[in-house]
Amino acid sequence: MPICKDRQAIETSAADVSPRFPSPSVPCLMRSLLPTLLTLWFAGDWVAAAEVDFSRDIRPILSDTCFRCHGPDADTREAELRFDTREGLEAARAAGLFDKDVAGNVAAQSEFLRRISSSDDDERMPPPDADPQLTPRQIERISQWIAAGAKGGEHWAYVAPVRPARPAVSDPQWPRNAIDAFILARLDAEGLTPSAPAERPRLLRRVTLDLTGVPPTIAEIDAFVADVSPDAYERAVERLLASPHYGERMAWEWLDAARYADTSGFQGDPERTMWPWRDWLIDALNAGMPFDAFTIEQLAGDLLPNATRSQRVATGFCRNNMHNGEGGRIPEETRVENVFDRTETMGAIWLGTTLTCARCHDHKYDPFTQREYYQLFAFFNNTSEEGGSFRGGRIPPVMPLPTEEQSAELESLKESLAAVAADLEKWEQEQLAKIDGAKKGDASGDDAAEKAADGSPGSDSSASPEKETVTGVPDKVCEALAAAISERTDDHLQLLIDHFTEKQPSYVEQLKAFQETRERRKKIWGQVVETMVMDERDDVRETFILQRGTYNKPDEKVVAAVPARLPQLPPDRPVNRLSFAQWLVDPAHPLTARVTMNREWQRFFGTGFVRTAEDFGSQGDKPTHPQLLDWLATELVRSGWDMKHLHRLIVTSATYRQSSRVSPELQEHDPKNQWLARGPRYRMASWMLRDQALALGGLMNDTQRGPSVKPYQPVGIWAEATFGKKTYQQDHGASLYRRSLYAYWRRIVGPTMFFDTAKRQTCEVNAIRTNTPMHALTTMNEIAFVEAARAMAQRVLAEGGTTDESRATYAFRLATARHPSSEEQRILTQRLGTLRTHYGADAEAASQLIQVGESPRDESLDPAEHAAFTGLCLMILNLDETLTKE
Amino acid sequence: MNPILDAHVLQTRRQLLGRSASALGAAALGTLLHEDTARGDSTANGGLPDLPHHFPKAKRVIYLLHNGAPSHVDLYDHKPRILEWHGKQIPDEVQGGRRLSTMTSGQTARPVLKPLAPLRPHGESGAWVSDLLPHTAAIVDDLCFIKSMHTDQVNHAPAITHFMTGFQRPGRPSMGAWLTYGLGSDTQELPGFVVMTSRDKEATCGQIFYDYYWGNGFLPSKYQGVKFRGVGDPVLYLSNPQGMSRAVRRGLLDDLARLNEIKLNEFGDPEIATRIAQYEMAYRMQASVPDLTDFSNEPQHILDMYGPDVTRTGSYAYNCLMARRLAERGVRFVQLMHAGWDQHRNLTTQLAIQCQDTDAPSAALVTDLKQRGLLDDTLIIWGGEFGRTPFLQGKIEDRARWGRDHHPYAFTIWMAGGGVQPGLTYGSSDDFAHNVAENPVSAHDLQATILHLLGIDHERLTYRFQGRHYRLTDIAGNVVGPVLA
Repeated sequence: MPICKDRQAIETSAADVSPRFPSPSVPCLMRSLLPTLLTLWFAGDWVAAAEVDFSRDIRPILSDTCFRCHGPDADTREAELRFDTREGLEAARAAGLFDKDVAGNVAAQSEFLRRISSSDDDERMPPPDADPQLTPRQIERISQWIAAGAKGGEHWAYVAPVRPARPAVSDPQWPRNAIDAFILARLDAEGLTPSAPAERPRLLRRVTLDLTGVPPTIAEIDAFVADVSPDAYERAVERLLASPHYGERMAWEWLDAARYADTSGFQGDPERTMWPWRDWLIDALNAGMPFDAFTIEQLAGDLLPNATRSQRVATGFCRNNMHNGEGGRIPEETRVENVFDRTETMGAIWLGTTLTCARCHDHKYDPFTQREYYQLFAFFNNTSEEGGSFRGGRIPPVMPLPTEEQSAELESLKESLAAVAADLEKWEQEQLAKIDGAKKGDASGDDAAEKAADGSPGSDSSASPEKETVTGVPDKVCEALAAAISERTDDHLQLLIDHFTEKQPSYVEQLKAFQETRERRKKIWGQVVETMVMDERDDVRETFILQRGTYNKPDEKVVAAVPARLPQLPPDRPVNRLSFAQWLVDPAHPLTARVTMNREWQRFFGTGFVRTAEDFGSQGDKPTHPQLLDWLATELVRSGWDMKHLHRLIVTSATYRQSSRVSPELQEHDPKNQWLARGPRYRMASWMLRDQALALGGLMNDTQRGPSVKPYQPVGIWAEATFGKKTYQQDHGASLYRRSLYAYWRRIVGPTMFFDTAKRQTCEVNAIRTNTPMHALTTMNEIAFVEAARAMAQRVLAEGGTTDESRATYAFRLATARHPSSEEQRILTQRLGTLRTHYGADAEAASQLIQVGESPRDESLDPAEHAAFTGLCLMILNLDETLTKE
Repeated sequence: MNPILDAHVLQTRRQLLGRSASALGAAALGTLLHEDTARGDSTANGGLPDLPHHFPKAKRVIYLLHNGAPSHVDLYDHKPRILEWHGKQIPDEVQGGRRLSTMTSGQTARPVLKPLAPLRPHGESGAWVSDLLPHTAAIVDDLCFIKSMHTDQVNHAPAITHFMTGFQRPGRPSMGAWLTYGLGSDTQELPGFVVMTSRDKEATCGQIFYDYYWGNGFLPSKYQGVKFRGVGDPVLYLSNPQGMSRAVRRGLLDDLARLNEIKLNEFGDPEIATRIAQYEMAYRMQASVPDLTDFSNEPQHILDMYGPDVTRTGSYAYNCLMARRLAERGVRFVQLMHAGWDQHRNLTTQLAIQCQDTDAPSAALVTDLKQRGLLDDTLIIWGGEFGRTPFLQGKIEDRARWGRDHHPYAFTIWMAGGGVQPGLTYGSSDDFAHNVAENPVSAHDLQATILHLLGIDHERLTYRFQGRHYRLTDIAGNVVGPVLA
């Protein structure tokens, strides 16, 4: 049972905080702050009360209260003073701001301390109208820091992580791997002890949901519980890591971050085809693609030497942004917005930095100037993409993705077309040599060029300018003949066919064959999927600093470069998107591995070490376990960016395996579970709830990949949002039961059965978890859930034995993985009895309930019995325990 | 099991649920439901502990957002000079090369266009109102006009986003989200922030109501406006499945609560208590929403007041009556959006139709609330995202296709109830209703004023996100003191 050893000490030290610097407002301020101080105190400051850590204790204070005028933004910097860089602090030190007197007395000498604690409004810093002000506690901290020599400079996140040594712990038996040593060391400091391991069925459910997105089957639970070998859990983990559903489960948060959707957004919300990129993602995750390659292929796969089709598809990541192509919109404005989005998405995902403010001005808190923003922007500013509206939602550059069969048929059609064209050519040369001015051309080009040509018949580039007529042949026919065969329009061909039908039947036959073959090719090309990808222009598009981020207000010209505060690009590489992507995953990069592992931790524990997953900057939250974060980051790099290895480490740790039971002590001392003296417990994401229901109902269609599907949705959602311009055509049959990640995502009105979900409009990396009645309504009433309950009832009747008790137990076990207690069992069977009576007496109601959803039911089942079990299963699907990963 | 441990768990649970007599009591429900997993709230209705900052005059807001931008020139902003100059080129010193939308930026002739119908002074206040709005004209003494509104956005979506969220780009929390975040909700049975949309019958304008107009931005997603739908269940998934009666549902929820309580006893996670409350509130909502939308107990004279469309689900009139019923039930913020004012080429026909569809319901809402004593603490705002040009879009000889373009430089809104001065006209535009002449009011000023009326200092209702303290009014906004009662 976790206990808190040092409560007395905590309370004493917290109460000891006293205003050291007299100020009229302090006593009152202290009263109002005391509860907050106590909380902060408890949140961990006291652990290191003796030693002040600049990164952890001082820089956040300076960032909050000083950086606005003494930080990165040169435009608002006052008195030439800056405290956000090592150099700035050294200059301040040299100027005597942090001096002590001979006796080490800070207050007597330090100009800095004098100014921040002055009671004179004209002197005090920050000025009286600034918000926030320094608290007495913060002033005290700063004083301690100056007394200790005012050491430090850089923000922790911009210094490359060094692999920390495994800390000593109170119970060397507990840790299963390095993760646990860091967690336990912290628990020791907090005076907490870890929880007991979770019961095996619960643990298997937790890890199965975490690694595959669906609960374990009863057979899997039974096998695991029966497996007494010491590595039973490890083997279960290996099985799950190897499951093809691992990639599907791990894809979701990346889809949110990558703002993946099936439409462009904005007015008209035209459709696009980005699911090939989504499939690439699932494949890459399943194959265990190292995170460095994963990064490089998505940001710059097109620039890799001999880029494969798959590597080019991967760059769809960069094209997943929204695109405003509405009429009247200035294309360049859209194009610039898109590049902003690409730059900022990269910033949030890899740099853990919100760059948006630097569009308009130097970042107020972090070392990114407006110039540096546009230098990053320049890396993404060189695709051929334009801002207008093109063929609906597929905005060039696009890449055709013919299937193998399509490729083969297209190749054979290309050959026959060339053969017919040669015959035609020959005939025309012989028979019509007399016609002057006729020019001949050649078929040519790669797939994309061919498709473009086929897709836009009517090119008039080779029409003869000359108008000389030949006896008996009308002008228009001459014109048609003058066009190169490969470039003749449908009108040309028809004209020739009409004209020569009588005179030259064999020629006309060939013309018709040509026409048909071409039509056939066009038709196949029309069926070929096209997905949006990145490319790189040969002539580099110039990049300018844009005043206030306005597309048509260019200021100074800039070239691509990485921010000065971070490691620089190797001098021997070209300055382009590929080098940039490689730079992000350079082992010396201080941010990428940390930011990534923080997100991964969030995936398993609900929150990361840094709660602000998108902001590792000065204003982001401090990491709860900085050393563990650094260890995981260096382990990621050390392992060759092997994400499955890291996932394995996390889920096999003793930390992860703890029971998530919340004892009163833990509820009191660590309600948010930030120190992890217990396992994770929180409501699953809504997409996972739907998948769980499908799995429990035995409805899940395990088909992977392919075009998005349209599950149930109330009538009129799209129509209402688009004034009737778009109508939702729900799928039928097996498509209804595909996993949630395949659900069609219309950007202006996303799937309605998901709640607390990213909007897929811009990059989102934080987990959202709230509770509203609307969520309960969804899982109680949405067709998919009711149908799942109905199908689950059918399963329970077939598989759950013959008594009410055994069946109720079976249903309960399906959902929670554990056996119900006798009290739970009693409630379930009693309810079943009530439902049976009700539906027995109301055949109409029973027949309605068991008809919800489109999947067929076993008509041999008694309707009242089936309805009663459906009601019971719907209740079980809504148990807190079922909705929760625990 | 350890009996001592059990006693501890139980005690914690009692502390959790013990704030009211019953575990499922209303107060506990409210508190639990508004308890964010990330931060604890202390007030009974789920608002922030330090709010309100001062005594509020208004408890709730009904924002009638007239999307597409109604013409201030035709409806409220009476200018004799416009009548004199009808058909003549607007003086350069007035128009002065200001940015126009691409609709008229290429048009060189900009003849002044007089209002399509006469405006007259009404009531004791003598406020000018178009003959097209007879019902509004009849209540002018209850209204407070601001004739010096201005914005720097010339396109619909950014301008609406600016008015509703304080910033022209999507992604910031909307006003309703800020208010429910700050003040919590006075109802346990309905969402605190409700959105309803309607459009003109002819569907002349194609603007989409983007969900970020009522988004939660970076606030927790429970503060997002709940859009009541015009078709099907007003709230998604509100109805029980076919074949499941309310009584059956009740029984299932009773057992669900029992089973969840067993779990809570065993596991001690307060989230489970939240879950119990969440399901209970969903059940109540299932009853209260149908009750809300059941107009059968409305007297005929009330229905008549809102006009003939009132029974047509999803019409502006229907939504106005719904707004009153939501206000009665304690909903904090009702955002009612009506499209159809974007009259670039159909002013001649569409203006009158729009007025007819919206005039009586808007006026009825004010009168109805007043009769019930609810106007005193309900703030109503009527307005568009900008105004329309005092000069013509189109050709003066082609009357059938007369129109006016977007006009952000001066326009009119009105407010009523909730602590604003009735019968007041504040600010003015110049002689051509083109530019603000005195007392300019920006969207941020309006937002600051709305927050002030609800007891909030707009500079102190902030939320830290990405390292910055954000607020509705961004970095601007002054309370418009003179309009306060």
